[in-house]
Amino acid sequence: MDTREWALLAFTILGQTAAGLMIVLMIVRTYIAAKAGNDLADRLTNRPLYIVVPVMAVAFIASLFHLGSPLHIVRAVPNIGSSWLSREVVFAVIFMVFAALYTFLQWRKVGSLGLRIAIGWITVLLAAAYIYAMGMVYMITTQPAWNTIATPINFVIGSLLLGTLGMAAGLIAGGHKAEETNIVHTVLQALAIAAIVLLGIEFIVLPIFMAYLATQGGAALQSLNMMVGSYGVAFFFRLLLLFVGAGVLAAYLYRNASIAEKEKTLASLAYSAFALALVSEVLGRFIFYASHYRIGI
Amino acid sequence: MAKQLAFYVDLNKCSGCKACQIACKDKSNLPVGVRWRRVFQYEGGEWINQNGQMIPSNVYAYSVSSACMHCAKPICMEVCPTSAISKRDDGIVLINADICIGCRYCSWACPYGAPQFNEELNVMTKCDMCHDLVDKGERPACVESCPYRAMDFGPLNELQAKYGTFADPAPLPDSNITEPAVVYKPNKVTKSSGNANGRLMNLEEL
Repeated sequence: MDTREWALLAFTILGQTAAGLMIVLMIVRTYIAAKAGNDLADRLTNRPLYIVVPVMAVAFIASLFHLGSPLHIVRAVPNIGSSWLSREVVFAVIFMVFAALYTFLQWRKVGSLGLRIAIGWITVLLAAAYIYAMGMVYMITTQPAWNTIATPINFVIGSLLLGTLGMAAGLIAGGHKAEETNIVHTVLQALAIAAIVLLGIEFIVLPIFMAYLATQGGAALQSLNMMVGSYGVAFFFRLLLLFVGAGVLAAYLYRNASIAEKEKTLASLAYSAFALALVSEVLGRFIFYASHYRIGI
Repeated sequence: MAKQLAFYVDLNKCSGCKACQIACKDKSNLPVGVRWRRVFQYEGGEWINQNGQMIPSNVYAYSVSSACMHCAKPICMEVCPTSAISKRDDGIVLINADICIGCRYCSWACPYGAPQFNEELNVMTKCDMCHDLVDKGERPACVESCPYRAMDFGPLNELQAKYGTFADPAPLPDSNITEPAVVYKPNKVTKSSGNANGRLMNLEEL
Protein backbone atom coordinates (compact mmCIF):
# COMPACT_ATOMS: atom_id res chain seq x y z
CA MET A 1 0.00 0.00 0.00
CA ASP A 2 1.33 3.45 -0.86
CA THR A 3 0.62 7.00 0.29
CA ARG A 4 -2.44 7.36 -1.90
CA GLU A 5 -4.18 4.49 -0.20
CA TRP A 6 -3.17 5.71 3.26
CA ALA A 7 -5.00 8.88 2.27
CA LEU A 8 -8.09 6.85 1.43
CA LEU A 9 -7.74 4.94 4.68
CA ALA A 10 -7.66 8.16 6.69
CA PHE A 11 -10.55 9.65 4.72
CA THR A 12 -12.82 6.64 5.16
CA ILE A 13 -12.04 5.96 8.84
CA LEU A 14 -12.34 9.60 9.90
CA GLY A 15 -15.46 10.07 7.75
CA GLN A 16 -17.01 6.97 9.31
CA THR A 17 -16.16 8.22 12.80
CA ALA A 18 -17.69 11.66 12.19
CA ALA A 19 -20.85 10.27 10.57
CA GLY A 20 -21.25 7.46 13.12
CA LEU A 21 -20.79 9.88 16.00
CA MET A 22 -23.43 12.21 14.55
CA ILE A 23 -25.94 9.38 14.21
CA VAL A 24 -25.39 7.97 17.70
CA LEU A 25 -25.29 11.45 19.21
CA MET A 26 -28.77 12.35 17.96
CA ILE A 27 -30.19 9.07 19.25
CA VAL A 28 -28.59 9.67 22.66
CA ARG A 29 -29.80 13.27 22.63
CA THR A 30 -33.37 12.15 21.98
CA TYR A 31 -33.19 9.62 24.81
CA ILE A 32 -31.82 12.09 27.36
CA ALA A 33 -34.36 14.72 26.27
CA ALA A 34 -37.19 12.26 26.88
CA LYS A 35 -35.85 11.23 30.29
CA ALA A 36 -34.43 14.43 31.68
CA GLY A 37 -35.40 17.33 29.46
CA ASN A 38 -33.89 19.21 26.54
CA ASP A 39 -31.54 21.42 28.54
CA LEU A 40 -29.61 18.50 29.93
CA ALA A 41 -29.75 16.70 26.58
CA ASP A 42 -28.11 19.68 24.88
CA ARG A 43 -25.53 20.10 27.61
CA LEU A 44 -24.45 16.44 27.64
CA THR A 45 -24.33 16.00 23.87
CA ASN A 46 -22.80 19.32 22.82
CA ARG A 47 -19.24 18.46 23.84
CA PRO A 48 -19.03 15.34 21.62
CA LEU A 49 -20.79 17.30 18.88
CA TYR A 50 -17.90 19.77 18.65
CA ILE A 51 -15.67 16.90 17.50
CA VAL A 52 -17.76 15.96 14.43
CA VAL A 53 -16.89 18.83 12.08
CA PRO A 54 -13.15 18.99 12.82
CA VAL A 55 -12.85 15.22 12.27
CA MET A 56 -14.72 15.53 8.98
CA ALA A 57 -12.50 18.45 7.94
CA VAL A 58 -9.36 16.39 8.56
CA ALA A 59 -10.97 13.57 6.56
CA PHE A 60 -11.42 15.90 3.60
CA ILE A 61 -7.84 17.13 3.77
CA ALA A 62 -6.64 13.51 3.86
CA SER A 63 -8.74 12.65 0.80
CA LEU A 64 -6.92 15.26 -1.28
CA PHE A 65 -3.67 13.31 -0.95
CA HIS A 66 -5.28 10.55 -2.93
CA LEU A 67 -5.81 12.70 -6.01
CA GLY A 68 -3.38 13.35 -8.83
CA SER A 69 -4.81 16.85 -9.19
CA PRO A 70 -6.13 17.78 -5.72
CA LEU A 71 -6.98 21.35 -6.69
CA HIS A 72 -9.62 20.02 -9.03
CA ILE A 73 -11.60 18.18 -6.35
CA VAL A 74 -14.78 20.07 -7.30
CA ARG A 75 -14.75 18.20 -10.60
CA ALA A 76 -15.53 15.00 -8.72
CA VAL A 77 -19.22 15.84 -8.74
CA PRO A 78 -20.73 15.79 -12.27
CA ASN A 79 -21.16 12.05 -12.75
CA ILE A 80 -23.54 11.68 -9.81
CA GLY A 81 -25.96 9.86 -12.11
CA SER A 82 -23.74 6.78 -12.40
CA SER A 83 -20.67 7.07 -10.15
CA TRP A 84 -20.86 6.13 -6.47
CA LEU A 85 -17.65 8.06 -5.97
CA SER A 86 -19.44 11.25 -7.03
CA ARG A 87 -22.28 10.41 -4.68
CA GLU A 88 -19.88 9.76 -1.80
CA VAL A 89 -18.20 13.14 -2.30
CA VAL A 90 -21.52 14.98 -2.61
CA PHE A 91 -23.03 13.36 0.50
CA ALA A 92 -19.81 13.96 2.43
CA VAL A 93 -19.89 17.67 1.60
CA ILE A 94 -23.60 18.14 2.37
CA PHE A 95 -23.21 16.13 5.58
CA MET A 96 -20.37 18.37 6.69
CA VAL A 97 -22.28 21.55 5.85
CA PHE A 98 -25.30 20.40 7.86
CA ALA A 99 -23.13 19.15 10.73
CA ALA A 100 -21.46 22.57 10.84
CA LEU A 101 -24.85 24.28 10.77
CA TYR A 102 -26.21 22.08 13.55
CA THR A 103 -23.07 22.59 15.63
CA PHE A 104 -23.32 26.34 15.21
CA LEU A 105 -27.01 26.41 16.17
CA GLN A 106 -26.34 24.27 19.24
CA TRP A 107 -23.29 26.26 20.25
CA ARG A 108 -24.87 29.71 19.98
CA LYS A 109 -28.36 28.44 20.92
CA VAL A 110 -29.70 29.98 17.73
CA GLY A 111 -33.13 29.00 16.46
CA SER A 112 -36.00 27.26 18.19
CA LEU A 113 -35.60 23.86 19.81
CA GLY A 114 -37.77 22.28 17.11
CA LEU A 115 -35.65 23.75 14.32
CA ARG A 116 -32.41 22.57 15.90
CA ILE A 117 -33.75 19.07 16.39
CA ALA A 118 -34.97 18.98 12.78
CA ILE A 119 -31.56 20.11 11.47
CA GLY A 120 -29.94 17.48 13.70
CA TRP A 121 -32.02 14.67 12.24
CA ILE A 122 -31.48 15.88 8.67
CA THR A 123 -27.75 15.71 9.43
CA VAL A 124 -28.23 12.14 10.66
CA LEU A 125 -29.95 11.16 7.39
CA LEU A 126 -27.11 12.74 5.41
CA ALA A 127 -24.56 10.90 7.57
CA ALA A 128 -26.34 7.62 6.83
CA ALA A 129 -26.45 8.36 3.09
CA TYR A 130 -22.76 9.28 3.14
CA ILE A 131 -21.73 6.02 4.84
CA TYR A 132 -23.90 3.95 2.51
CA ALA A 133 -22.39 5.68 -0.55
CA MET A 134 -18.91 5.16 0.90
CA GLY A 135 -19.52 1.42 1.01
CA MET A 136 -21.12 1.35 -2.45
CA VAL A 137 -17.99 2.94 -3.98
CA TYR A 138 -16.31 -0.45 -3.62
CA MET A 139 -19.12 -2.44 -5.21
CA ILE A 140 -17.27 -2.78 -8.52
CA THR A 141 -18.12 -5.86 -10.61
CA THR A 142 -14.45 -6.44 -11.41
CA GLN A 143 -13.39 -6.49 -7.72
CA PRO A 144 -14.84 -9.76 -6.36
CA ALA A 145 -13.48 -9.31 -2.82
CA TRP A 146 -15.22 -5.94 -2.62
CA ASN A 147 -18.30 -6.57 -4.70
CA THR A 148 -20.33 -8.29 -1.98
CA ILE A 149 -23.07 -7.11 0.35
CA ALA A 150 -20.48 -7.51 3.16
CA THR A 151 -18.79 -4.29 2.01
CA PRO A 152 -21.62 -1.82 2.66
CA ILE A 153 -22.55 -3.77 5.82
CA ASN A 154 -18.99 -3.47 7.13
CA PHE A 155 -18.85 0.24 6.37
CA VAL A 156 -22.13 0.85 8.19
CA ILE A 157 -21.28 -1.38 11.18
CA GLY A 158 -17.79 0.07 11.46
CA SER A 159 -19.19 3.56 11.40
CA LEU A 160 -21.81 2.84 14.06
CA LEU A 161 -19.23 1.10 16.22
CA LEU A 162 -16.82 4.02 16.08
CA GLY A 163 -19.76 6.35 16.69
CA THR A 164 -21.04 4.32 19.65
CA LEU A 165 -17.70 4.01 21.44
CA GLY A 166 -16.75 7.55 20.41
CA MET A 167 -19.97 8.78 21.97
CA ALA A 168 -19.29 6.83 25.17
CA ALA A 169 -15.82 8.39 25.38
CA GLY A 170 -17.14 11.85 24.50
CA LEU A 171 -19.96 11.65 27.02
CA ILE A 172 -17.69 10.76 29.90
CA ALA A 173 -15.00 13.21 28.78
CA GLY A 174 -17.55 16.03 28.74
CA GLY A 175 -18.02 15.70 32.51
CA HIS A 176 -21.31 15.88 34.39
CA LYS A 177 -22.75 16.91 37.72
CA ALA A 178 -23.39 14.45 40.54
CA GLU A 179 -27.16 14.54 40.04
CA GLU A 180 -26.73 13.63 36.37
CA THR A 181 -24.74 10.49 37.10
CA ASN A 182 -27.75 8.20 36.79
CA ILE A 183 -28.74 9.25 33.29
CA VAL A 184 -25.13 9.29 32.07
CA HIS A 185 -24.57 5.78 33.39
CA THR A 186 -27.80 4.52 31.82
CA VAL A 187 -26.68 5.91 28.45
CA LEU A 188 -23.21 4.38 28.85
CA GLN A 189 -24.80 1.01 29.52
CA ALA A 190 -26.96 1.30 26.40
CA LEU A 191 -23.91 2.29 24.34
CA ALA A 192 -21.96 -0.68 25.73
CA ILE A 193 -24.76 -3.06 24.74
CA ALA A 194 -24.96 -1.47 21.29
CA ALA A 195 -21.19 -1.98 20.81
CA ILE A 196 -21.48 -5.65 21.78
CA VAL A 197 -24.40 -6.17 19.38
CA LEU A 198 -22.46 -4.49 16.54
CA LEU A 199 -19.46 -6.68 17.33
CA GLY A 200 -21.73 -9.72 17.14
CA ILE A 201 -22.98 -8.67 13.68
CA GLU A 202 -19.38 -8.23 12.46
CA PHE A 203 -18.48 -11.67 13.72
CA ILE A 204 -21.45 -13.18 11.89
CA VAL A 205 -20.87 -11.35 8.60
CA LEU A 206 -17.12 -11.99 8.44
CA PRO A 207 -17.09 -15.82 8.33
CA ILE A 208 -19.94 -15.84 5.80
CA PHE A 209 -17.99 -13.37 3.67
CA MET A 210 -14.79 -15.44 3.89
CA ALA A 211 -16.59 -18.68 3.10
CA TYR A 212 -18.12 -16.94 0.08
CA LEU A 213 -14.70 -15.80 -1.19
CA ALA A 214 -13.39 -19.34 -0.78
CA THR A 215 -16.13 -20.73 -3.04
CA GLN A 216 -15.58 -18.14 -5.79
CA GLY A 217 -12.04 -19.07 -6.86
CA GLY A 218 -9.98 -16.78 -9.09
CA ALA A 219 -9.40 -13.22 -7.94
CA ALA A 220 -11.73 -13.69 -4.93
CA LEU A 221 -9.71 -16.64 -3.66
CA GLN A 222 -6.48 -14.70 -4.24
CA SER A 223 -7.85 -11.93 -2.02
CA LEU A 224 -8.83 -14.39 0.71
CA ASN A 225 -5.36 -15.96 0.63
CA MET A 226 -3.84 -12.50 0.91
CA MET A 227 -6.06 -11.65 3.91
CA VAL A 228 -5.24 -14.74 5.94
CA GLY A 229 -1.77 -15.24 4.43
CA SER A 230 0.42 -12.18 3.86
CA TYR A 231 -1.79 -10.05 6.10
CA GLY A 232 -2.68 -12.84 8.50
CA VAL A 233 -1.04 -11.16 11.50
CA ALA A 234 -2.80 -7.85 10.84
CA PHE A 235 -6.05 -9.74 10.33
CA PHE A 236 -5.64 -11.59 13.64
CA PHE A 237 -4.96 -8.37 15.53
CA ARG A 238 -7.89 -6.67 13.81
CA LEU A 239 -10.22 -9.33 15.20
CA LEU A 240 -8.51 -9.48 18.59
CA LEU A 241 -8.60 -5.72 19.17
CA LEU A 242 -12.19 -5.55 18.00
CA PHE A 243 -13.14 -8.32 20.40
CA VAL A 244 -11.31 -6.77 23.34
CA GLY A 245 -12.47 -3.20 22.59
CA ALA A 246 -16.07 -3.67 21.54
CA GLY A 247 -16.58 -6.88 23.52
CA VAL A 248 -14.57 -7.27 26.71
CA LEU A 249 -14.06 -3.58 27.55
CA ALA A 250 -17.64 -2.77 26.55
CA ALA A 251 -18.84 -5.47 28.94
CA TYR A 252 -16.74 -3.99 31.76
CA LEU A 253 -18.07 -0.57 30.84
CA TYR A 254 -21.59 -1.91 31.22
CA ARG A 255 -20.81 -3.48 34.60
CA ASN A 256 -18.99 -0.50 36.05
CA ALA A 257 -21.71 1.87 34.88
CA SER A 258 -24.09 0.15 37.27
CA ILE A 259 -21.93 1.27 40.19
CA ALA A 260 -21.92 4.90 41.28
CA GLU A 261 -18.69 6.88 41.78
CA LYS A 262 -16.68 4.91 39.25
CA GLU A 263 -16.17 7.82 36.89
CA LYS A 264 -12.41 7.39 36.48
CA THR A 265 -12.71 3.69 35.70
CA LEU A 266 -15.53 4.40 33.28
CA ALA A 267 -13.45 7.03 31.51
CA SER A 268 -10.47 4.66 31.15
CA LEU A 269 -12.73 1.91 29.85
CA ALA A 270 -14.53 4.13 27.35
CA TYR A 271 -11.31 5.68 26.02
CA SER A 272 -9.56 2.31 25.68
CA ALA A 273 -12.57 0.67 24.05
CA PHE A 274 -12.76 3.47 21.46
CA ALA A 275 -9.00 3.43 20.87
CA LEU A 276 -8.93 -0.33 20.33
CA ALA A 277 -11.93 -0.23 18.01
CA LEU A 278 -10.29 2.59 16.05
CA VAL A 279 -7.01 0.71 15.65
CA SER A 280 -8.96 -2.41 14.69
CA GLU A 281 -10.90 -0.52 12.02
CA VAL A 282 -7.67 1.00 10.67
CA LEU A 283 -6.13 -2.49 10.42
CA GLY A 284 -9.29 -3.80 8.79
CA ARG A 285 -9.32 -1.00 6.22
CA PHE A 286 -5.61 -1.49 5.57
CA ILE A 287 -6.25 -5.16 4.76
CA PHE A 288 -9.27 -4.15 2.69
CA TYR A 289 -7.16 -1.91 0.43
CA ALA A 290 -4.13 -4.20 0.42
CA SER A 291 -5.82 -7.46 -0.49
CA HIS A 292 -8.16 -6.68 -3.34
CA TYR A 293 -7.56 -8.34 -6.68
CA ARG A 294 -9.20 -7.10 -9.81
CA ILE A 295 -10.54 -9.52 -12.38
CA GLY A 296 -8.57 -9.48 -15.62
CA ILE A 297 -5.14 -8.11 -16.45
CA MET B 1 -26.01 -0.69 -33.66
CA ALA B 2 -24.07 2.54 -33.93
CA LYS B 3 -20.63 2.47 -35.48
CA GLN B 4 -18.01 0.95 -33.21
CA LEU B 5 -14.34 0.97 -34.18
CA ALA B 6 -12.34 -2.03 -32.99
CA PHE B 7 -8.97 -3.80 -32.96
CA TYR B 8 -8.24 -7.25 -34.34
CA VAL B 9 -5.29 -9.50 -33.47
CA ASP B 10 -4.49 -12.82 -35.11
CA LEU B 11 -2.94 -14.96 -32.36
CA ASN B 12 -1.58 -17.37 -35.00
CA LYS B 13 0.61 -14.64 -36.41
CA CYS B 14 1.56 -12.77 -33.23
CA SER B 15 5.08 -13.66 -32.09
CA GLY B 16 5.03 -11.47 -28.98
CA CYS B 17 7.67 -9.11 -30.42
CA LYS B 18 6.00 -6.03 -28.85
CA ALA B 19 6.52 -3.80 -31.88
CA CYS B 20 2.90 -2.67 -31.38
CA GLN B 21 3.63 -1.69 -27.76
CA ILE B 22 6.70 0.32 -28.77
CA ALA B 23 4.96 1.96 -31.73
CA CYS B 24 2.21 3.02 -29.33
CA LYS B 25 4.67 4.49 -26.83
CA ASP B 26 6.44 6.32 -29.64
CA LYS B 27 3.34 7.68 -31.33
CA SER B 28 1.73 8.90 -28.08
CA ASN B 29 5.00 9.86 -26.41
CA LEU B 30 4.30 7.81 -23.27
CA PRO B 31 6.58 8.12 -20.25
CA VAL B 32 8.37 5.17 -18.65
CA GLY B 33 5.86 2.92 -16.89
CA VAL B 34 2.84 3.89 -18.96
CA ARG B 35 1.94 1.25 -21.52
CA TRP B 36 -1.30 1.82 -23.35
CA ARG B 37 -0.74 -1.36 -25.35
CA ARG B 38 0.70 -4.37 -23.58
CA VAL B 39 1.66 -7.83 -24.77
CA PHE B 40 0.87 -10.64 -22.37
CA GLN B 41 3.00 -13.80 -22.57
CA TYR B 42 0.79 -16.59 -21.32
CA GLU B 43 2.02 -20.11 -20.67
CA GLY B 44 0.77 -23.29 -19.06
CA GLY B 45 0.64 -27.05 -19.12
CA GLU B 46 2.65 -29.56 -17.16
CA TRP B 47 5.38 -32.18 -17.35
CA ILE B 48 4.45 -35.69 -16.36
CA ASN B 49 6.80 -38.33 -14.97
CA GLN B 50 6.73 -41.44 -17.15
CA ASN B 51 9.08 -44.20 -15.92
CA GLY B 52 11.59 -41.67 -14.67
CA GLN B 53 11.39 -39.53 -17.80
CA MET B 54 9.76 -36.09 -17.77
CA ILE B 55 7.37 -35.81 -20.70
CA PRO B 56 5.76 -32.48 -21.63
CA SER B 57 2.00 -32.67 -21.50
CA ASN B 58 -0.24 -30.01 -23.03
CA VAL B 59 2.51 -27.40 -22.69
CA TYR B 60 1.53 -24.21 -24.43
CA ALA B 61 2.66 -20.62 -24.79
CA TYR B 62 1.26 -17.70 -26.71
CA SER B 63 1.15 -13.91 -26.67
CA VAL B 64 -1.90 -11.64 -26.46
CA SER B 65 -1.56 -8.00 -27.47
CA SER B 66 -4.12 -5.87 -25.69
CA ALA B 67 -4.98 -2.21 -25.14
CA CYS B 68 -8.13 -0.31 -24.28
CA MET B 69 -11.01 -2.27 -25.75
CA HIS B 70 -13.22 0.80 -26.29
CA CYS B 71 -15.98 -1.32 -24.77
CA ALA B 72 -19.68 -1.20 -25.55
CA LYS B 73 -20.17 -1.07 -21.76
CA PRO B 74 -17.18 1.00 -20.60
CA ILE B 75 -17.03 0.40 -16.84
CA CYS B 76 -14.38 3.17 -16.55
CA MET B 77 -16.86 5.71 -17.88
CA GLU B 78 -19.57 4.44 -15.53
CA VAL B 79 -17.49 4.84 -12.36
CA CYS B 80 -15.56 8.03 -13.22
CA PRO B 81 -16.76 10.76 -10.84
CA THR B 82 -15.82 13.63 -13.14
CA SER B 83 -17.37 12.63 -16.48
CA ALA B 84 -13.86 12.96 -17.94
CA ILE B 85 -14.39 9.71 -19.84
CA SER B 86 -16.63 9.78 -22.86
CA LYS B 87 -17.46 7.58 -25.82
CA ARG B 88 -17.44 9.10 -29.29
CA ASP B 89 -20.01 8.34 -31.96
CA ASP B 90 -17.49 6.01 -33.61
CA GLY B 91 -17.12 4.08 -30.32
CA ILE B 92 -13.69 5.41 -29.29
CA VAL B 93 -13.53 5.89 -25.50
CA LEU B 94 -11.45 8.93 -24.49
CA ILE B 95 -10.21 10.46 -21.23
CA ASN B 96 -10.25 14.25 -21.18
CA ALA B 97 -7.05 15.20 -19.35
CA ASP B 98 -8.41 18.68 -18.62
CA ILE B 99 -11.24 17.21 -16.53
CA CYS B 100 -9.63 14.11 -14.95
CA ILE B 101 -8.58 14.62 -11.30
CA GLY B 102 -6.41 11.49 -11.14
CA CYS B 103 -8.44 9.62 -8.52
CA ARG B 104 -7.62 6.28 -10.21
CA TYR B 105 -11.10 4.89 -9.65
CA CYS B 106 -11.23 3.81 -13.33
CA SER B 107 -8.09 1.74 -12.86
CA TRP B 108 -9.79 -0.17 -10.04
CA ALA B 109 -12.68 -0.94 -12.35
CA CYS B 110 -11.26 -1.67 -15.82
CA PRO B 111 -10.57 -5.42 -16.17
CA TYR B 112 -8.12 -4.74 -19.03
CA GLY B 113 -5.86 -2.43 -17.01
CA ALA B 114 -6.30 0.18 -19.74
CA PRO B 115 -6.46 3.45 -17.74
CA GLN B 116 -3.00 4.14 -16.33
CA PHE B 117 -1.78 7.02 -14.22
CA ASN B 118 0.66 9.41 -15.88
CA GLU B 119 3.01 10.77 -13.20
CA GLU B 120 4.01 13.72 -15.40
CA LEU B 121 0.48 14.88 -16.12
CA ASN B 122 -1.06 13.72 -12.79
CA VAL B 123 -4.07 12.34 -14.62
CA MET B 124 -5.22 9.00 -15.96
CA THR B 125 -4.38 8.22 -19.58
CA LYS B 126 -5.17 5.34 -21.87
CA CYS B 127 -5.22 4.18 -25.49
CA ASP B 128 -7.06 6.77 -27.59
CA MET B 129 -7.09 4.51 -30.67
CA CYS B 130 -4.88 7.16 -32.32
CA HIS B 131 -8.07 9.09 -32.98
CA ASP B 132 -6.07 11.91 -34.58
CA LEU B 133 -4.85 9.46 -37.24
CA VAL B 134 -8.25 7.77 -37.49
CA ASP B 135 -9.90 11.13 -38.11
CA LYS B 136 -7.51 11.59 -41.05
CA GLY B 137 -8.50 8.20 -42.44
CA GLU B 138 -5.32 6.49 -41.25
CA ARG B 139 -4.93 3.50 -38.94
CA PRO B 140 -3.63 3.34 -35.35
CA ALA B 141 0.16 3.16 -34.91
CA CYS B 142 0.11 -0.33 -33.35
CA VAL B 143 -1.80 -1.82 -36.27
CA GLU B 144 0.50 -0.24 -38.82
CA SER B 145 3.65 -1.30 -36.98
CA CYS B 146 3.01 -5.04 -36.75
CA PRO B 147 5.76 -6.78 -38.76
CA TYR B 148 3.64 -9.95 -38.97
CA ARG B 149 0.53 -8.13 -40.18
CA ALA B 150 -1.22 -9.79 -37.26
CA MET B 151 -3.35 -6.73 -36.48
CA ASP B 152 -6.26 -5.06 -38.16
CA PHE B 153 -8.55 -2.19 -37.38
CA GLY B 154 -12.02 -1.13 -38.49
CA PRO B 155 -15.69 -1.18 -37.63
CA LEU B 156 -16.40 -4.06 -35.24
CA ASN B 157 -19.14 -5.58 -37.38
CA GLU B 158 -16.83 -5.69 -40.42
CA LEU B 159 -14.00 -7.27 -38.40
CA GLN B 160 -16.44 -9.81 -36.98
CA ALA B 161 -17.73 -10.66 -40.47
CA LYS B 162 -14.13 -11.21 -41.62
CA TYR B 163 -12.57 -12.88 -38.59
CA GLY B 164 -15.29 -14.19 -36.25
CA THR B 165 -16.40 -12.98 -32.83
CA PHE B 166 -13.88 -14.50 -30.38
CA ALA B 167 -12.95 -11.92 -27.72
CA ASP B 168 -12.01 -14.12 -24.76
CA PRO B 169 -8.43 -15.40 -24.98
CA ALA B 170 -6.88 -16.08 -21.55
CA PRO B 171 -5.51 -14.17 -19.68
CA LEU B 172 -8.08 -11.56 -20.74
CA PRO B 173 -11.28 -11.42 -18.64
CA ASP B 174 -14.71 -12.64 -19.68
CA SER B 175 -15.96 -10.36 -22.47
CA ASN B 176 -19.46 -10.28 -20.94
CA ILE B 177 -18.25 -7.86 -18.26
CA THR B 178 -17.67 -4.84 -20.49
CA GLU B 179 -18.39 -6.09 -24.05
CA PRO B 180 -15.01 -5.13 -25.52
CA ALA B 181 -14.75 -3.93 -29.13
CA VAL B 182 -12.15 -6.49 -30.15
CA VAL B 183 -11.74 -9.64 -32.20
CA TYR B 184 -9.03 -12.24 -31.63
CA LYS B 185 -8.34 -15.14 -33.95
CA PRO B 186 -7.33 -17.99 -31.63
CA ASN B 187 -4.40 -20.25 -32.47
CA LYS B 188 -4.51 -24.00 -31.81
CA VAL B 189 -3.43 -23.66 -28.16
CA THR B 190 -5.35 -20.51 -27.20
CA LYS B 191 -7.27 -20.97 -23.93
CA SER B 192 -10.43 -19.10 -23.04
CA SER B 193 -10.95 -16.55 -20.26
CA GLY B 194 -11.09 -18.14 -16.83
CA ASN B 195 -8.53 -20.80 -17.74
CA ALA B 196 -6.96 -21.84 -14.45
CA ASN B 197 -3.71 -23.66 -15.30
CA GLY B 198 -1.83 -20.93 -17.14
CA ARG B 199 0.17 -17.98 -15.89
CA LEU B 200 1.67 -14.72 -17.09
CA MET B 201 5.37 -15.07 -17.79
CA ASN B 202 6.37 -11.45 -18.31
CA LEU B 203 4.88 -9.76 -15.24
CA GLU B 204 7.85 -7.40 -14.89
CA GLU B 205 7.11 -6.03 -18.36
CA LEU B 206 3.42 -5.36 -17.78
